[in-house]
Amino acid sequence: MNSMNCEKRKELLAGWMDNQLTEAERAEMEAHLAICAECRQEMETNRRLWVSMGEVPVPAPSDKMQVRFDAMLETYRQEQTNRRPGLFFYLRQLFAVRPGFTWAYSLVLIVVGVGLGYFLNRPAGAGGGFGAGGDRGLASGGGADKQQLQTLSAQVHEMREMVLLALLENPSASERIRGVSYTSEIKAVNKNVVNALLSTLNNDPNNNVRLITLEALTHYAEDPLVREGLVQSILHQESPLMQAALADVMLKLQEKKAVRPLKELLQQKGLNEMVRTKIEQTLTRLI
Amino acid sequence: MLKVRSGDLDKMGLLFQRYHRPLYGFLYHMTSQRESSEDMVQNVFYRMLRSRHTFTGEGEFKTWMYHLARNVLKDHFKKAGREGYSAPETEWEIRDDGILPGEQLEKKMELEMLLQRIASLSPESREVLVLSRYQDLKYAEIAAVLDISVGAVKVRVHRAINQLKTLYLQS
Repeated sequence: MNSMNCEKRKELLAGWMDNQLTEAERAEMEAHLAICAECRQEMETNRRLWVSMGEVPVPAPSDKMQVRFDAMLETYRQEQTNRRPGLFFYLRQLFAVRPGFTWAYSLVLIVVGVGLGYFLNRPAGAGGGFGAGGDRGLASGGGADKQQLQTLSAQVHEMREMVLLALLENPSASERIRGVSYTSEIKAVNKNVVNALLSTLNNDPNNNVRLITLEALTHYAEDPLVREGLVQSILHQESPLMQAALADVMLKLQEKKAVRPLKELLQQKGLNEMVRTKIEQTLTRLI
Repeated sequence: MLKVRSGDLDKMGLLFQRYHRPLYGFLYHMTSQRESSEDMVQNVFYRMLRSRHTFTGEGEFKTWMYHLARNVLKDHFKKAGREGYSAPETEWEIRDDGILPGEQLEKKMELEMLLQRIASLSPESREVLVLSRYQDLKYAEIAAVLDISVGAVKVRVHRAINQLKTLYLQS
């Protein structure tokens, strides 16, 4: 037997004992063992050692471990309920899940910082270089500062929107829910966000995500685009939970346009009985 | 595990019940110290609670658990090193099993000798042996825990067995 080959095979012996080889490796190993006495002997020694290792007594952990653990969990739970998760907590979670955000945030902050510095030092009016600008800039500062502040807050706003839109695309439902909850931090939503939320409302596979989205959207119901989207969504929903929730929303908004799709919904076969009653009630109070 | 991450702490109790024994076994083999191993199990689960948001659901829970356990071990050895080396408390408590027939007694002594030999392997070798023999991890899982390739795991296990064989046969 080629000793080089044997050496290579011996490396596989442990895996052979431990049932960790692929089918092919295993077959090859066994074929080799059948013809190579040296490897067979080594295998036998290893196997005995392996079996003995399995018989070595290991003390069991004491029962007080469970008690200690329960106590720790209880303490931790109390700590958690006492501490309301703040924005910082959410941010930290965000970064923990998507390390890329850390870089993105840092980069944006640097850009904003440099931009701000540049704007503040720029002479009022056009022209001029960096150098001499400072004093003049300050002198005619008031209006310009305000404008810069506005630009800056617009940028922050834009960034929040970006994060929100990114989170809505996340495969994990809890991430998407977080994305939706971001809307509470955005004062005025633009068309992009509304569209993304409506599409989540209609297409998200997860019930909870859709429910949360519905709730978020009702805050913007004065926007005709949102109202229209909500009305149209009635016929998109297949889950009884969502149908009932939408009927509630329509009632709250006193949206007369919802009458037609709700009636259409009533025509559908296989509509949940509870939902049917609910919609009938809603209709009587809407009309 | 994903349920724990979103705040369902009761699930943590379930995980504890399921995994604290194997985890204890791992730590015991790595330190030969009962008390410290129990402390460390506690410590590992505490870290899981604290950092459950870093668990993204990618990769197995077990891998994550052994990752944390290795960090706890590292801290343990660092501390032990600072406080001076404390010899592993090999507890040769003579359990009152009655008088064992000669053959059984011999077997028992042999196994205890083997345990001692495992404990005297280098940490690196002991770790792969314990993970594959006692923790029933697949090579791919061991590779993920140790951050090395599957091929490297194979080589390490092979080397560890040879070391153990030499030590054991010497005695």
